[in-house]
Amino acid sequence: MLLISCPWCGERDEVEFHYGGESHIAYPDDPEAITDDAWGEFLFVRNNPSGEFRERWLHTHGCRRWFNLLRDTSTHEIVRSYRMGESADQSSGAERESD
Amino acid sequence: MSIEHARADHFEHPSELWRASEPRASYDVLVVGGGGHGLATAYYLAKEHGLTDIAVLEKGWLGGGNIARNTTVIRSNYLWDESAAMYEHSLKLWEGLSEELEYDLLFDQRGVLNLAHNLHEVREGIRRVNANRLNGVDAEWLDTDGVKEFCPIVNTSSDLRYPVLGATLQRRGGIARHEHVAWGYATRASQLGVDIIEGCEVTGIDVAGGRATGVQTTRGPISANKVALVAAGHRSVLAEMAGLRLPVQSHPLQALVSGLLEQRLGCVVMSGAVHVYVSQAHKGELVMGAGIDAYNSYAQRGSFHVIEKQMAAAVELFPIFSRAQMLRTWAGIVDVCPDASPIVGLTPIEGLFLNCGWGTGGFKATPGSGWTLAHTIATGEPHRLNAPFALDRFAHGRLIDEHGAAGVAH
Amino acid sequence: MASSAPSEPRMAPLSGWESRFVEASESGVVELGERPFLAHVNLRLDPSNLSARARVRETLGVELPLSPNTVSDGAGHAALWLAPDEWLLVGPTGSEGEIVGSLQGALAPYHHSVLDITANRTTLELVGSRAREVLATGCGLDLHPRVFGPGRCAQTLYAKTQLVVWQIDDVPTFRLLVRPSFAPYLAEFLCDAMLEW
Repeated sequence: MLLISCPWCGERDEVEFHYGGESHIAYPDDPEAITDDAWGEFLFVRNNPSGEFRERWLHTHGCRRWFNLLRDTSTHEIVRSYRMGESADQSSGAERESD
Repeated sequence: MSIEHARADHFEHPSELWRASEPRASYDVLVVGGGGHGLATAYYLAKEHGLTDIAVLEKGWLGGGNIARNTTVIRSNYLWDESAAMYEHSLKLWEGLSEELEYDLLFDQRGVLNLAHNLHEVREGIRRVNANRLNGVDAEWLDTDGVKEFCPIVNTSSDLRYPVLGATLQRRGGIARHEHVAWGYATRASQLGVDIIEGCEVTGIDVAGGRATGVQTTRGPISANKVALVAAGHRSVLAEMAGLRLPVQSHPLQALVSGLLEQRLGCVVMSGAVHVYVSQAHKGELVMGAGIDAYNSYAQRGSFHVIEKQMAAAVELFPIFSRAQMLRTWAGIVDVCPDASPIVGLTPIEGLFLNCGWGTGGFKATPGSGWTLAHTIATGEPHRLNAPFALDRFAHGRLIDEHGAAGVAH
Repeated sequence: MASSAPSEPRMAPLSGWESRFVEASESGVVELGERPFLAHVNLRLDPSNLSARARVRETLGVELPLSPNTVSDGAGHAALWLAPDEWLLVGPTGSEGEIVGSLQGALAPYHHSVLDITANRTTLELVGSRAREVLATGCGLDLHPRVFGPGRCAQTLYAKTQLVVWQIDDVPTFRLLVRPSFAPYLAEFLCDAMLEW
């Protein structure tokens, strides 16, 4: 089980959280103006790296906030958690390791 | 079931069955991935289309990926016409496969039950039975008593948290011995002239002028006219080497196996609502699977709470198993498409073919997947069976939503 | 046990469990009991709104804590941090109407939400020198006194049940806020955990 650091509540077991897929997906500025390919890409295509991945989690059983996690999908190492609105690079969020 | 299994005791790794090959500098067709689907693709290319200048490249050992990690359930009771056609074609190939390969796959049509635990599932189950019959797929609806009769050890008492209200039954569904499938295809493909190269990891895909020209590997570059990506779980990484972004996400899928027990479970039982699927293998061990772990992963392991929940469901459904000891648990990596259906066919890059997104249910499709991809590679056009499973369906909205049939339990 | 003083008779979610609690408890080591019907009011407002927070302080005599998972006390009320813009206000039995009414008046100029959720949870109290060990059997929270002491609270998944854990003193005494329909399950779990001590 992952030990996940919520940027508000601190370290909690994975069972308290809900996974939300890749972070930082921007809604198209003008959805009606883009091509079918671009719309399909927005809806269905996400990065799927073997390595560091930015993803959303919801602290369902805690503070009920969405936040971001920078996690390595090949080792499950959690590099950093950071709040919505922050970027992974300049976050003030907890920096830690776990598995 | 009183089938005589001549080779049932041969579980060691029989590498003498196929030729170990050194990679040559060039081939007509390269199949990346030496699992069930890759080996089937190579076999059908040789057998059905007369191509023999083929190499299968496997980064580990043959049959060491998901073909060795799945729970071996075979069925074709999918909802939509496109899926029913694809999986039923695969099931028909299974039905003659041991004879065709002259290799006993221990294919055993013992019947597959998909349990319904609430009114919605009852309605969906009956709907699927009707849809299956319209597509020529054998399907029956059993009420609670019918389930008890078909599989007496299922707990059908009405005071369960999730009572068994009925089940779909596909009598032609069943199980097969997974590594025999890999070995059978490898043996015959090898005899037909296919080079099987283990310990050869692809590190790059060469594309020139919009056309695939070969691959870079840990054992040197290999050029080819055609390259097929058939490596379960890792296809996003492979595809990215060719500049392709795929609508798949890789997740851990966990399975467990018990010690050897007396034969008590004569069919496959699956339940999407309580997240368990279980069968008893020929040697006697219970083989169980859980739902996928929610997060993306390539680590071939998942979280304990997922299998804890799955075991709780198994013990409630099968009180007789409550003292069984689970010996091992493991995980495979499954790549899942947004519509829970696979992608089999062409890519925007000429000469580059794709087979991915089988999610949690690729084993049953091994023959059909290899057969249709071989047709696509040999002719340059998808077969009518895999044409609907094109990559571009995500841009055009022609999704084949099989979350109901594929959802969790395979 | 708090006496119930509402206008209509209410039944505590764990009424009938008293003898089980006595049986499972050992004085000074660990004791379990229910404190039903404490007033629970959910409050949401923008934490950066200093005026609104001041109004709460003036109205209830309690400061809204801004540190995650902390509790402030004042004038018979407690304010538990639940989220950056959400608090649980706990008051004496029967005071929920007064809390809601006074806050709605005081916060009227501001964007806010005040809701009586007294019926949403009941409260178990786990007290005694071994209370921490008993509590630790059901969750992964770090309950070491260095991390979790008086004035700390946490929302967590406890033995698969959603729970608010709140330590009120050094004995230690833990208040466990749980949904009424899960209360017997939680009580059963804790009584079992107490056997060891």
